[in-house]
Amino acid sequence: MVSLPSFLFVSFILFLAGIVVMIARKNVIAILLGIELILNAAALNFVAYTRFINNNLEGHIIALFIIVIAAAEAAVGLAIVIRFYQIRESIHIDDATQLQS
Amino acid sequence: MDYTISTIAWIVLFPFFAFVINAFLARKATKIAVIISCGAIALSSVWALRIFKDFIFGNYASDFYIRKVFTWFDLNGAGLSFNVNMGIYIDNMTAIMLLMVTVVATLIHIFSTYYMKDDMNYGRDGRFFVYMSLFTSAMLGLVLSDNLLSVFIFWELMGFCSYSLIGHYYEKDGAGNANIKAFMTTRVGDVFFLLGILAIWTNIGSVGFVEMYAAIADGVFTDPANNVFGISLAAFAGMSIFMGTIGKSAQFPLQVWLPDAMYGPTPCSALIHAATMVAAGVYLSLRIFPLLDVAGLTPLVAWIGGITAFGAATIALVQTDFKAVLAYSTISQLGYMVLGVGVGSYNAAFMHLITHAIFKACLFLSAGSVIHSLHDHHTHEHVQEMPRMGGLRHKMKFTWFAMWCCTLAIAGIPFFSGFVSKDRILGDALIQALHNKVYIVPAILGFAGALLTAFYMCRMMFLTFHGEPRDKELYEHIPEEKFSWNRNLPLLILAVFTLGVWFSGSLTGQKLVKVASPEGKLEWFSTLVVKPDVNKFKTYTSEKWGNTDTRVKGIEKSHYDPKHGMTNEEEIHHVHQVHVIGAIASIFIAFAGVFIAYMMYIRKSWNPGWWVSTFSGWYRALQNKYYMDDLYIKGVIQKGLLPLNRFLAWIDMGLYDRYIVDGWAGVSKVFYTFSKWFDDLWVDTVMVDGTGASVRLFNVVLRTLQSGKIQFYFIMIIVVLAGYILAL
Repeated sequence: MVSLPSFLFVSFILFLAGIVVMIARKNVIAILLGIELILNAAALNFVAYTRFINNNLEGHIIALFIIVIAAAEAAVGLAIVIRFYQIRESIHIDDATQLQS
Repeated sequence: MDYTISTIAWIVLFPFFAFVINAFLARKATKIAVIISCGAIALSSVWALRIFKDFIFGNYASDFYIRKVFTWFDLNGAGLSFNVNMGIYIDNMTAIMLLMVTVVATLIHIFSTYYMKDDMNYGRDGRFFVYMSLFTSAMLGLVLSDNLLSVFIFWELMGFCSYSLIGHYYEKDGAGNANIKAFMTTRVGDVFFLLGILAIWTNIGSVGFVEMYAAIADGVFTDPANNVFGISLAAFAGMSIFMGTIGKSAQFPLQVWLPDAMYGPTPCSALIHAATMVAAGVYLSLRIFPLLDVAGLTPLVAWIGGITAFGAATIALVQTDFKAVLAYSTISQLGYMVLGVGVGSYNAAFMHLITHAIFKACLFLSAGSVIHSLHDHHTHEHVQEMPRMGGLRHKMKFTWFAMWCCTLAIAGIPFFSGFVSKDRILGDALIQALHNKVYIVPAILGFAGALLTAFYMCRMMFLTFHGEPRDKELYEHIPEEKFSWNRNLPLLILAVFTLGVWFSGSLTGQKLVKVASPEGKLEWFSTLVVKPDVNKFKTYTSEKWGNTDTRVKGIEKSHYDPKHGMTNEEEIHHVHQVHVIGAIASIFIAFAGVFIAYMMYIRKSWNPGWWVSTFSGWYRALQNKYYMDDLYIKGVIQKGLLPLNRFLAWIDMGLYDRYIVDGWAGVSKVFYTFSKWFDDLWVDTVMVDGTGASVRLFNVVLRTLQSGKIQFYFIMIIVVLAGYILAL
């Protein structure tokens, strides 16, 4: 029987991997992937807690919401990336300097 | 006539409005301004005539008076009572005084239209008339005043106007000094006058004459509890106020200003030295007579009057200036009035004030008439020196006639007004001298002065109008005098009133005492002007503004006491005897004076030069006015006042300025240094610049944090989150 700490450990690894990707990679798409990883870590937490503590479906519903929001967020983020690429011809994060005064 | 303030005040306001209007009008329309001035004073004299008619020909008792007051300002509160009433006070004396002032002033105004016509368009574009109007209005205000404070106000106004009028020819040498001298000398007396007013005010809470009389009757003035500097309040206040009289009426210690005041135009001399300003002093001393009486100051007053009367008469003996003789005779006659006050002949002193006003105004106007005709064609100035005159009676008959009338009046020849009044003063002085040794010297001085008066006035007349003309060229140029309304008419009108019959009711003026009973209506002057009986004022309640006239006619018979308060028949007889002796003596003295002058200057049997050479020391003393001017200028002013001034200036400049004002600068400097250091270091460097530095510091920190690198922000977020979690 797989216990709750195993789920939390996986989730933590995922979250850490997301953070590392987000901070270390300069590619905007990779950063978006890192964000997906963090969201998935959160969703995994919800599912794990609802399975072992509440034993109902509320966590699953929130996990579904998170997946939808992550899809929408990924769509918006990719749209910005495309637009950014059209202007700068690059998707390197340090080229996004227009908001810097 | 309804006696309220709003009807009576017009007598003052007519000339005053004339002054206000003319102050603006005189330069543009001088002729109209002159007419307004003359018209205003003439209107006032109509008003005065109505009051005179009501009072003198009405059946009012001698002690009847009207007083209307209003509150000028009122500062009551917090337990303090400080309100000042102003008002009018009319009794028989006021009524007579008003008529005298207005009529004489009217005649002087009319004469001025002649005298000042050539003098730069009626006296510097009518400015002369502007001041004359203000002057007259101030005098009338003074006469009508019911309290000492308003007397003082009008008194000072007159002082200012006399200053302006005496200095009218300001381009002349000495005129500027003369007016300052007149102003400052009278100021010496005025300071004491104000002191007296304050002394009365603090003790009885009012300065009205009526309240003052009531307080005298209640014994407030003699109460030892009210002593001022160890002397009784009555003596202090009486002497202080009498000092005002000494200054204004040119009495012995302060007489020096009056001769110099002759620098003014002659009509203004007539106004100042006859009818108004100098008369005001005597009028005041008559008003405060009960105070002087209760204080026991009358011997002192008599002494001052006697010394002035005699001393000024002796100086007049040696004067060669036409107007200077008149100036000294004015001082001398004022001395007689004060002597009259001193010996308690209230009535006679006041009568002498009136008669003197009339004949002296006439004398001055006649002098003006003479001087105006005597034009020196070399220097283009008017001639006032008697040695250059002589024989003028052929050229100016009217002036000669008027002036002789007045000379006889002032000399005390019977049938003339001066005899009536002066003789009564001398008679009363004689009575007092027989009863009290203190009065012997003033009485002797009075009689001796009478001899000199007759002499020097006749000397002046003989030198001017009689004999041969001594300056032929000047004489040839004098135009023949033709009768003119503004030159001769005022003189002749005044000359008519030098007759004694107007005042005494009898030709000799020396009717037996019993004739002057209440039935003897002709003796109006003696009957209607009596010493105020202070006990009658005890029940006085003041009548407020606008009340109607509540007089009841004929309520009391006259209070004139022909027996002078004496019940003993023998004593009455004695008084009568003394009066007769005095009258005979003064007639003899007057004629003696005229005779001596006649022998010296017409017959030339006696040589005046012999007197000059024999008594040369005295002659020089007289010519130098007893060295009193020198004493004041060299002694009092140069030795006393100027060192004092320098000492005060040293205190001001040497001590106060140097150490306190400049010393304050040093203190300021120290404070300045400290505050500069504080300002520079603490305020500027630490606080103002410190604010900037701290902002810059935070700026560096925040700028470093806000690098624009989005991943750096992620790191920050993580770090902060981790920090939170660790803190939890």
